Amino acid sequence: MSATPYAERPTSISGTKAAVVTHGTIALRNLGAQIDGLERSSTPGFPRLEERAWLIDLLALRGSILGRIADHERALRLAQMLVRDATTEAAAFLARARTRAVFHRFTDALDDLDVAERLAADSESVDRERAAVFQGLGRYEEALAIREADAHRCPSFESLGALSTLCAERGDTERAERLHAESVQRYRGVSPLPLATLDFQLGVMWMREGQLHRAQDHLTAARCYVPAYAPAQGHLAEVEAELGHFDLAIALLDPLAATADDPDYAAQLARIHADAGHPDDSRYWRARAAARYDELIAVHPEAFADHAAEFWLAAGGDPRKALSLARMNLEIRKTPRAYVLLSRAIDAAEAAGARCFSHPEPSQSATSAANDRSMQ
Amino acid sequence: MSDHFSGPRALADPAADLTDLFAFPAPDNPRRLVVVMDVFGKAGPGAVFSDAVIYRFRFRRARIEATGPGAAFGVDPDEVGFDFTFDVPGRDGTTLQRGHCRIPGGETVSFSTNDDRGGTGRGVRVFAGQRSEPFFLDVHTILESAETRKLAFKEVGSDTLYGTNVLSIVLQLDWAELLGSGPIFAIVCETLQAGPRPVRIERLGRPEIKNVSMSFKTFDQVNRDLEIRDLYNSEDAFALMPDYVGAYRARLNANLSFWDSLDGKTDWPHDELGNHPLTRLLLADFLVIDASKPLQEISYFEIERAMLAGHPHASPGGRWLNEDVMDSIFTLYINGGNGPRINDGIDAPIAWSSKVFPYLAPPNPPKGQA
Repeated sequence: MSATPYAERPTSISGTKAAVVTHGTIALRNLGAQIDGLERSSTPGFPRLEERAWLIDLLALRGSILGRIADHERALRLAQMLVRDATTEAAAFLARARTRAVFHRFTDALDDLDVAERLAADSESVDRERAAVFQGLGRYEEALAIREADAHRCPSFESLGALSTLCAERGDTERAERLHAESVQRYRGVSPLPLATLDFQLGVMWMREGQLHRAQDHLTAARCYVPAYAPAQGHLAEVEAELGHFDLAIALLDPLAATADDPDYAAQLARIHADAGHPDDSRYWRARAAARYDELIAVHPEAFADHAAEFWLAAGGDPRKALSLARMNLEIRKTPRAYVLLSRAIDAAEAAGARCFSHPEPSQSATSAANDRSMQ
Repeated sequence: MSDHFSGPRALADPAADLTDLFAFPAPDNPRRLVVVMDVFGKAGPGAVFSDAVIYRFRFRRARIEATGPGAAFGVDPDEVGFDFTFDVPGRDGTTLQRGHCRIPGGETVSFSTNDDRGGTGRGVRVFAGQRSEPFFLDVHTILESAETRKLAFKEVGSDTLYGTNVLSIVLQLDWAELLGSGPIFAIVCETLQAGPRPVRIERLGRPEIKNVSMSFKTFDQVNRDLEIRDLYNSEDAFALMPDYVGAYRARLNANLSFWDSLDGKTDWPHDELGNHPLTRLLLADFLVIDASKPLQEISYFEIERAMLAGHPHASPGGRWLNEDVMDSIFTLYINGGNGPRINDGIDAPIAWSSKVFPYLAPPNPPKGQA
């Protein structure tokens, strides 16, 4: 028997005792095995609605952990088929709402949730899904009302974790950390994936706040739970680059950029190589990212408008393209970050001599709003 | 499914999700007892055991304490446990793991998963790895029966688990040496979160208690909205919390009455307190096996039925891998044996288990190779 198989688990950085959870390698392997098993059993006969919806959720989970767009696309296709085959089942519409929200099709997602509610889905479940969509849309007060009520009614790992994530998104850092600690204390599961996801969210929060070492701690914790957690690895690379550790950042990004179907890693790598004084490498990764962003914008414009705009503003070096995408992004989701992105895009386009008179008023108001919000 | 995906919490980690427990005398040697625990229903080829889970078999000596309508077992407070744990597999993508079985007395038997020879130690032989799902049933017709309140079984059903695999743990033991005098034993299996104070994730004794017998909420007029299975899972099979027994009893009374009603007659009249005659025995949620009797192909609940009828049992009880246990359960619940054997339309798994260690059939090939 191995001495203490749980001895090397990460200790929660929020000071609470970390749960004993399955090694991240096993958890991911088993997630894949679950997906394979359900895909396999879905061929003959008529698989149960619950299993089809479950497969969709598992694909979305793997997509978010491995940063794999193909998994999300497959989940969306399966959800479309599920709704087609089960037009009177609330669970089908709930599943499709979740996948549509992943692709930033928030209005469609809300429509699905309305249908699910009419089909007698549990209203609390529907509200929880609505809160996630409201959060994506930047309708934070509505999301907060639902999340707080849920956490008050049932202060579980899930409800407190969801509230923590919302607070992190809003930049309410102190509350997000406190809720994170409370949430972890209530965790009774064996899977490391939910814990890794929570640490990832806080890592991103601190990164946006410019608290790089705190971001580093949370992102490292997320990777301790799940070593192959791609977005955590990618963001950790960004943090390391900000700290001037270019070699480490490049080492973290290289394997992701080479294999991922998400161009974010190539985009970051292009930027970091440029900052590190490696123009040839930067050009190579820039070209790869640009081609892939163009592909994705053609298919899922809502989902990738913000990240593509960020790319064209930075390593992509095309402020006009960035401005167009930043405008599209703000139309989809009026989050503080969307306003800031548009503001930066306008500044960059103006600096590049671009004439942006086609929509002067919205741009000005967006800029003001972004400035107002960024000061909060 | 027997206990597949039972309870929302168990869904979070499939490697901790118990699907079945079997217990039977070794076909070739009556001094040996075999227990099998299955986890991870519909496992894909890459499935492995969790390194954060303790997979435990618990044995207690049992005795028949009462027969007739108040039939009941007595169970000793002392028990013998066998804990299985697993290491993290290598980074090369292999599904091979080192497994470890701690047996009474402190000895540990180590072995490699998916090795049919298994590992051996004092009085034990163990195996763990991926195998063909031995259980078979048609979930659609069960759900349809509950929804329509009419028996929906077809002459030829559709096996929901056809061609799927599970992760199995097989423990064969010399019962006289390791369990002491019997010959009747109560057996449960559990998954527990490892750590200084292991926390029970799931437990399993009898087949289809949590799903077919407990999951339907609509018939239960006491706790219509209660997802009772996670609560039930967290209980000690040998010592249910008195606070919640009433809820379990109400759910079983309601659901067993539903099943009894499906043939248009009442085979199980409730007692003066409104309890179904099977409720008490089913809440003793462990497999009961008489190790002194040789293997029989159909033996599940035979000891209990003999107790209810007031005569000696003839089989080892327990549960053999190849028994069509769904037909046994439906016959018990629906007509109490006062009519023809109920057939749910599924009579076999994709591959029968053998009578040679490790008993369960090898795993089915992946989809593309099938």
